[in-house]
Amino acid sequence: MRIRAAVSATLASAGILLVGWQSGSHVTEAAGSSIGTSAGTTGTTGSTGASAATGSGSGSSSGTSTSGAASGSGATGSTGSTETTTSAAGAGNGSGTFAGSVSQTRFGNVQVQITVSGGKITDVTALQLTDEDRRSVAISNRAAPLLRSEVLQAQSANVQTIGGATVTSDAYLSSLQAALDAANL
Amino acid sequence: MNTQLLTTRPEVRRSSRGSVNPFKGQHRRRLLRADLLTVLFWASLAGAIALWLADGGASGFSTPAGSFTALGIVAGLAGMDLVLLMLLLAARLPFIDGAVGHDRALEFHRKLGKPALYLLLAHGILIAIGYGMAEGLDPVTEAVNLWVQVPDMWLAYISMVLFIAVVVTSLVAVRRRFPYEFWYAVHLLTYAAVLTSIPHQFSVGGLFAPGTWQRWYWLAACIGTGAALLHNRVLEPIVATTRHKLSVSRVVQVAPGVVSIEMTGRHLDELTGAGGRFFIWRFLAPGMWWHPHPFSLSAEPLQLGPSGSLRITVRNLGKGSSQLARLKRGTKVAIEGPYGLFSTAARSRNHVVMIGAGIGITPIRALLESTPFNPGDATVILRGRSEKELYLGKEIMDLCQRRGATLYHLTGRRPAGVETWLPADATRSGYRLGSYAPNIAEADVYVCGPAAWAQNVLKDARAAGVREEQLHYERFDW
Repeated sequence: MRIRAAVSATLASAGILLVGWQSGSHVTEAAGSSIGTSAGTTGTTGSTGASAATGSGSGSSSGTSTSGAASGSGATGSTGSTETTTSAAGAGNGSGTFAGSVSQTRFGNVQVQITVSGGKITDVTALQLTDEDRRSVAISNRAAPLLRSEVLQAQSANVQTIGGATVTSDAYLSSLQAALDAANL
Repeated sequence: MNTQLLTTRPEVRRSSRGSVNPFKGQHRRRLLRADLLTVLFWASLAGAIALWLADGGASGFSTPAGSFTALGIVAGLAGMDLVLLMLLLAARLPFIDGAVGHDRALEFHRKLGKPALYLLLAHGILIAIGYGMAEGLDPVTEAVNLWVQVPDMWLAYISMVLFIAVVVTSLVAVRRRFPYEFWYAVHLLTYAAVLTSIPHQFSVGGLFAPGTWQRWYWLAACIGTGAALLHNRVLEPIVATTRHKLSVSRVVQVAPGVVSIEMTGRHLDELTGAGGRFFIWRFLAPGMWWHPHPFSLSAEPLQLGPSGSLRITVRNLGKGSSQLARLKRGTKVAIEGPYGLFSTAARSRNHVVMIGAGIGITPIRALLESTPFNPGDATVILRGRSEKELYLGKEIMDLCQRRGATLYHLTGRRPAGVETWLPADATRSGYRLGSYAPNIAEADVYVCGPAAWAQNVLKDARAAGVREEQLHYERFDW
């Protein structure tokens, strides 16, 4: 009887984990492909860069993106941004405001806009922040000013995420990277 | 006078061998339920992690920092799941009680305490490392940052401290040093620990994030556990107390330091059935009402017309129990229960062997009165240091004579330096459990007495070929 319990428990647990893992990998793939959707730009230049290639359509992935999506986008964003900083020095002729892509997280959408003057980022404003519930709003309100000052200081998206606001930070920086790409910085 | 056969064995009826076993179906269903509980236990742990995976949790493993964070999340999820399962095990769910018994459920509850705490500690440490690596900070600085900067995290730290306090005070070595009330008060902090842990699960963790499957799982788990606790540990006792209206009618001294408390009440015939005979009693007198006493019935409830009576027999074990000898007539009594599986509900065979020691004899007395058996199919063994310690011995002898059970009185000290449940002269003669109950291998064996003594009986029974599912043992010590 104990054997029966052990065998059934093992099979049931393994089955449940397998199903979870399978559906999870679908979510991750779907979210991964939807990260790059850009909301276009308001500046002078058109959208450039790999992250903006799929054009507009911010709502294309309906609510399935998760922390996995956000951290994935953070990873691609940061690798891209190191390239951007090296090339930014010479290309400093863009001016104006540039909106980044809309990053979807499970706590809400994040989109930032940068103001560029003489090849320098002079301001970062958040158009949308994670606002799914009051907790998300509280986290966003704490993280956004910190991220803004870090970005203004570093002049790139290559800054540290804010502890306890990892999802918001990653989404913020990924949107910022799209804006930087759009500004050709 | 040490080993004594008190009633002659009635002629064994051959018919019992060929007759069907009336407990077969009940036994099969009970084992099935116990196995189902095992499966549910592991499935809930797997489910907690699977839902996190289904919501894309595994993608965190793509970076080293993310891996630490992801492992930390898994540890936290498993820890939370274990805590909820522990609460359910202590929630006196009839399904669990009827399958494995109240004491077995609490034993498992105790076993889960340390693993749950380790998982929660691992959760905190791994997350601090993971977040720290992502930000280039050492884990200690990160932990301080989390405390200072992230809303709700200070509550999570308090929760952690409370969990540690609850588990540490429950360790056997620590628990013995403090009175029951202290342990109980600290244990109540479990609820505070769970409640203070929930805000950070909302705000920082994703357990209840909208749009995820986890949200529904955890909402159902938390609300279900809370409702089960409220229903079984608050509402049910209030309903039982008001329905049965028990009050003390008589306190009789049975032996030095041992009293029988008789109570009258209503609808007592509905109280027990085939289920357990173990209740938690509160005597509603000044200075006593808040002290819960766990005792089993020492006689079957008796219902005569509108008023019925029942009885417990208590030995003066501590300060709380000694007050019981001075209980006044008419004192109202609040009850929780009945719980346990030390009853006919646990029977699996036609034969039955009942072994009790000291005050553990008293539940045997109630069982002997009610559990069905054919004359000659039951053996009762009472163990005490002296004949005076065989409480209710006269009543039990009468019952044995009436129902055709074989009764042994085993008295005297046990031999020095030998692990045995028998008195010295019995061990010298080479007697074992099988010597008293020859057909024990095909019997249900009920054991009640001090823990160390009972373990020796169980060992002897296993050696005599009794299978684990035939052993029914009620723990005494809390």
